[in-house]
Amino acid sequence: MFDLFKERYSELVDDAEAFFSCLDSLQPRSFRVNRLKSTPEHIKERFSEYGISLEQVQWYEDAFISSEPEVGATFEHFTGEVYIQELVSMLPPVVIRKELEKARFVLDACAAPGSKTTQLAAIMQNRGLIVANDISYNRIRALKFNQEKAGAANVVITNRDLRNFPKNQFEIIILDAPCSSEGTIRKNFGIPSLWSEKHINNLARMQKQLILKAFDLLSPGGTMVYSTCTFAPEENEAVLHHLLENRPAKLEKILIPHLKLSQTVAEWRGTEFNSEVKNAIRIWPHHNNTGGFFLAKVKK
Amino acid sequence: MKTEFLTYLQERFGIPANLFDDFEFYGASKGRVYLGPKSAISSPEPVSVGFLAARIGNSIKPSTNLIQLFGKYATKNIINLNKENTIKYANGEDVIIDSKEFTDGYVILSYQGSPLGCGHAKGKTITNLLPKAKRLQLKFL
Ligand SMILES: C[S@@+](CC[C@H](N)C(=O)[O-])C[C@H]1O[C@@H](n2cnc3c(N)ncnc32)[C@H](O)[C@@H]1O
Repeated sequence: MFDLFKERYSELVDDAEAFFSCLDSLQPRSFRVNRLKSTPEHIKERFSEYGISLEQVQWYEDAFISSEPEVGATFEHFTGEVYIQELVSMLPPVVIRKELEKARFVLDACAAPGSKTTQLAAIMQNRGLIVANDISYNRIRALKFNQEKAGAANVVITNRDLRNFPKNQFEIIILDAPCSSEGTIRKNFGIPSLWSEKHINNLARMQKQLILKAFDLLSPGGTMVYSTCTFAPEENEAVLHHLLENRPAKLEKILIPHLKLSQTVAEWRGTEFNSEVKNAIRIWPHHNNTGGFFLAKVKK
Repeated sequence: MKTEFLTYLQERFGIPANLFDDFEFYGASKGRVYLGPKSAISSPEPVSVGFLAARIGNSIKPSTNLIQLFGKYATKNIINLNKENTIKYANGEDVIIDSKEFTDGYVILSYQGSPLGCGHAKGKTITNLLPKAKRLQLKFL
């Protein structure tokens, strides 16, 4: 299994050695300040009193890397002023911050356990309406706990398979798709035992259905962010390609100053992807010492 | 229900009603009241709207989450806990406070200006009302 994984990504990544050794290393502990309850300035002050040194993330002023792994035992975690979250997982709301300022009707399509829901609510300052949906009732319990703890009052939770979601028109949709999670290997200590190309292909089939459905739920002029925390082109570029071949979608270029972004894969196993796909981005773990991520901004 | 609750927050804690102008209150079973957005969606039917703000029965008990979000606007019946009592409170224990600053009933507990949640005061004893799932062994405070 590991050989297959290695072979696959050696040809896609710029520096295979750096990539694989990064996957073997521990990921820095990061968190986000919840602006419904606190500010980065306040948190900096508090943590310095605790003797915890923080590094404010250059591309997102609400995000911090902590020298102390037990952020979960701080007073500010208890009160919901900080939310423990992987850095790259903060990206989908960050790339639509402008759009979110005016948005009144937002769908977080695969929302549990709510990292992005609570971040959206903070950016929107509890105004407008966020529909946080997830297929899994079990995972909704964690979503509910996190949403309440964050003080996210502008959230309603729905429990649907997105593919059967009733007709609606959302201005913004976050589609943080279920994926093979290869990019979280560092956090999860080792390649998941579930890993196989068959598993990837099954997920890809689902992701293609989800992205078409999500696009149909967007209002004209609306914005969707498609993201995964995986490297597999089947779950990333190929899913966007499928959308572009089946719907009048456009991809907007993504710029994030101070974060090293990488190009998408142009072709995979004989399929050359639609040229619009180039506007999406990949984030490789060894470039910024983060998890792995894939991100696209879709316009209707 | 809404007016009753807002009047209570104002009278007991001095929390002004206009803080809630952009929100709506939703009643649910067992006297539960949720604080949520002004307009929700009807299709699909939500499994929950906003978050639990209070339980209204013989008395009105504000939720920990409500207090953590709006407690900073309170002007009365607030108890500032010291470090030791804050650790106890986060652990789910009751605390004993000798002070004339509050009357019997629900009180807001805070630490260095940050509201933690609520307790129920009877004399000097503050009964811990923190939900079990929120208990935490604090190391940094
Ligand atoms: C990557 S996780 C989402 C993480 C979440 N956005 C966060 O930031 O905390 C993917 C989620 O999609 C949900 N899911 C899987 N299939 C789904 C479907 N068909 N419709 C809706 N949700 C689905 C899973 O239950 C899972 O919670």
